[in-house]
Amino acid sequence: MMRRRYGLAVLALAAVLLAAGSAVVVSGQLLAYQDGYVFFTSGDGFRVASDIIIRDAKTGGNTALKPAPRIWARATFNSSGTVTELDLSRAPLPAQGSFADVQRFAVALSTPAPNPDLLAYAATPGPDETPLPTQHFSGKPVLVTFIVQVPPITPFTSSVYITTDQSGWNAQAIPMDRIDALHYQITRRYPSGTSFRYLYDRGSFQSKEVAQNGLDRRPRVFVVPDADVRVIRDNVYAWQDQANGGVNQVQPQVMPTPYNPAPFPNLPCLPPPQPPAPGHKPPPPPAGCPGAPPPGAPPPP
Amino acid sequence: MHRKSVATVPRTVLPAALTMLAFLVACRAAQAAAPAPESTTSPPPSALIYLNATRIDFYYDRFLLEADGNVRLRTSDGFTVTGDSFSMDLKLNRFLVAGHVTLHDSSGTVSGAAISDFLDFRRIYFVPVTSEPDRWTFLNGDLAHPAKGRVMPGDAFYFPDVPQQPSITGTGAVIGTKTFVRFINSHTYLAGAPIPLGSYVINFSPEQYFAQNTLSGATADLTWNVAGTDNSLTAVHLRYDPTYHTYLAVEQHLVGQHEYAIFSVNPATRAEKWWNLDLYEKLGSRFQISSFTQYYTQQSWLSLPRAAQQTTYLTATYAMPHSYLQATSQLTNYNVLGPGALELPHTIAGSLDHPTQVELTATSFQNRIGKLPLYEQIWEGYGFNHDSVGGQQYLNGFPGYWPQGGPRFAPIPVPGLQAYGSPCPYQPVPKKFTYYCPVYRTIWNTVLGFSFFTPALKLNNPPSPYQTYYFNASFSKQYQWNSLPHWIDNTSENFTISRQFSRAVNTYLGYQILNVGDHYINGGYLPCTPVNTFYCPLSFTSFRGVSTLRTTSLGLNFTPTPEFNFSVLVRHHDDFPIPVPGVFGLPPNNILGQPLYSWFLGQPPYDASFDLRLKILPHALMDISKTLYWYGNPYRTQFWQPATVVQILPI
Repeated sequence: MMRRRYGLAVLALAAVLLAAGSAVVVSGQLLAYQDGYVFFTSGDGFRVASDIIIRDAKTGGNTALKPAPRIWARATFNSSGTVTELDLSRAPLPAQGSFADVQRFAVALSTPAPNPDLLAYAATPGPDETPLPTQHFSGKPVLVTFIVQVPPITPFTSSVYITTDQSGWNAQAIPMDRIDALHYQITRRYPSGTSFRYLYDRGSFQSKEVAQNGLDRRPRVFVVPDADVRVIRDNVYAWQDQANGGVNQVQPQVMPTPYNPAPFPNLPCLPPPQPPAPGHKPPPPPAGCPGAPPPGAPPPP
Repeated sequence: MHRKSVATVPRTVLPAALTMLAFLVACRAAQAAAPAPESTTSPPPSALIYLNATRIDFYYDRFLLEADGNVRLRTSDGFTVTGDSFSMDLKLNRFLVAGHVTLHDSSGTVSGAAISDFLDFRRIYFVPVTSEPDRWTFLNGDLAHPAKGRVMPGDAFYFPDVPQQPSITGTGAVIGTKTFVRFINSHTYLAGAPIPLGSYVINFSPEQYFAQNTLSGATADLTWNVAGTDNSLTAVHLRYDPTYHTYLAVEQHLVGQHEYAIFSVNPATRAEKWWNLDLYEKLGSRFQISSFTQYYTQQSWLSLPRAAQQTTYLTATYAMPHSYLQATSQLTNYNVLGPGALELPHTIAGSLDHPTQVELTATSFQNRIGKLPLYEQIWEGYGFNHDSVGGQQYLNGFPGYWPQGGPRFAPIPVPGLQAYGSPCPYQPVPKKFTYYCPVYRTIWNTVLGFSFFTPALKLNNPPSPYQTYYFNASFSKQYQWNSLPHWIDNTSENFTISRQFSRAVNTYLGYQILNVGDHYINGGYLPCTPVNTFYCPLSFTSFRGVSTLRTTSLGLNFTPTPEFNFSVLVRHHDDFPIPVPGVFGLPPNNILGQPLYSWFLGQPPYDASFDLRLKILPHALMDISKTLYWYGNPYRTQFWQPATVVQILPI
């Protein structure tokens, strides 16, 4: 009696193990659930059993979630490739199984055909051919150092920035550090494959760099390569707001001369060049002029 | 009467000419939006996608657009797609619609599970469900002849992981591929609370000219992009600055590949308004012209202005093989309202000057001298300055200077461009001002300048690059001779020795000499009297317009990671004349608020600047900078003067 019971238990266990062995479980994100098929973001569509069981992936119990795009699911396939159970979750599920294992269950009317777009870069070049540039990037972080040489007339106290299309051409997006009389430097970390356009400026778009021929220049383009570090050396020939030959601008009642109207006591006593606002009390004339406060007098309130 | 008509002519012609220029540039900018003839090698033309859904979320940090519920999109390519969910990576320029998809175009309607459009590659990947699922690829926009069974890229139907909180949420969007998204019925979030935006435009065009702006600086600026297309953007700015406090400004951009036109009113809700117009046009590969016009009015809303000023900068550049020619001009009218405005009640219109400046400059490229580690650049220019308002031409004055009980308008003491020489023989009685004679209304000038500089020269050759010292030097000189007996020369010399101690640390020691000579052949700077007082310290008694500013600098940068930077700059200034606190102010500003000249006396002898930058968010950098400067002996009246600036910079 005991031996018979033992034999039945072994048979039952074997049946369970066999059944478990024939079931394949794969987790992934749903693309669609319609027309008797479930689609994953791999693009593959699988038949769904009419009595499919839908559960909560975390608790294993009932769920209010319904299979829909963006929902994460753990799918159980039976031996014929039909999905018999879907465990759903809004959060990503741990990777389980491989879609390569269930590829044979995917339903498609047409016979798979090669895609020349995907083969273009994989083709092996001939002995005299130059290999096509690969467009595959690992996305690993790359230290990129920008070193720029600025024109000698750049004021020593100027700040220099990099502006890029990645930051909406914010003129102060990447501040640089002066490293000597003519050079500025900055190091940034970018994932390889990042592509952006950039220009140098001195804090505004009115003071951006111009080309050596004085014309507006198109932005530089840089694609971060798959490397550990990369040093970019650029040259700025001129700034838009600081052309060579700039002279003292002439203003009415202001001498085109560096220090006038300087507040020297005995230079011409000029009124302010612009009309004061209504109600505004004009400043006192400079020292030495009629109406000037005596030296040492407290400032007017 | 006759006087008014004469003065009116140029004021009418100039705005007309500017308006015509604005019109031409705007037309060119508008034309730039027209699609170019398609060629096999050209990138795909930009497309418009009209999207509606129950909810559309935009994630600013990743430029992702995610939509769910009753998704319906229509493209300018001529097809319509409906589905359950939508996802678009605006930078990668591809979109996905998934769940109960229908694809409709002129050839009919097909149902499917998902469709993905790789716009840059002109490939559409579709999973139709007819009797059974299949895989179709549409090539080059041909929806009538799918390539069936073609293997698809592994990420064709990929949904990105998105953060919890979107930046903007709406129910409709118009997407201009690679340029803009205009949200409809949208709102953003502040501390989780929704703030309605209505129509809002995100512009992410690679076109740099969208960044050109005509607004002056402000302490804070909240920008509401109300409308926009792939070549235009309309923005309303809510701004704050210490002068005008809180106010609104409006700015309009029209941008093409080789031209732009930008117009703004700032502040738009204050009596003092600045109307700005910035124009640029590149004609061919060698010539460009640009202008910037600012028109100032003092008016309540759009009522009759009480004062109006205008200034225009024009720049034309012609590139040559090894040099370029540049013509610059500045036209200013300090009283656009004319003499009659001075007679209006409560007028504040002032000077009637309208100076004009034209300068033609030829500049060489930077050229290496032989095989020496030395480069040179030269430039030469000719200029013309004129102010037609001559001595005693108009009566004018400033309210603050009106003599009590006297005539209504006090005369301008110094009309014209420059009063030069000695006091005039005839002075007003009673003597309120001192007149200087003669008065120059036209000044010609010639400019000659050159510069030499070295690249970074190695001073030693040690085994480690972190032990190498580099030397840099530059020398620049410029002369400006004016047609009156007056000339100016500027000389600048810079020397630095620098060393990088490690990947994270570099330093430099610099020495700079700046000489500015303001020479008058006769007259000019008079001796400062009385000698050795607060107003005339010793070095000013011998000052005749020639200054020497010497600066020693020590800089240190510490950058252990790209996300953290600390730098220090300590400087000592040894200047002649010796700066005196309170005697020398900053140079006066022109009507654009820019300093009239970059040299000024009065730098404190010592200053130290500290700058700390660190990454505080994935796309934001905080920059804290502080400058401390102090006077040494004998002016111990002012010591540390801290000025701290904190900026949050998007990266």
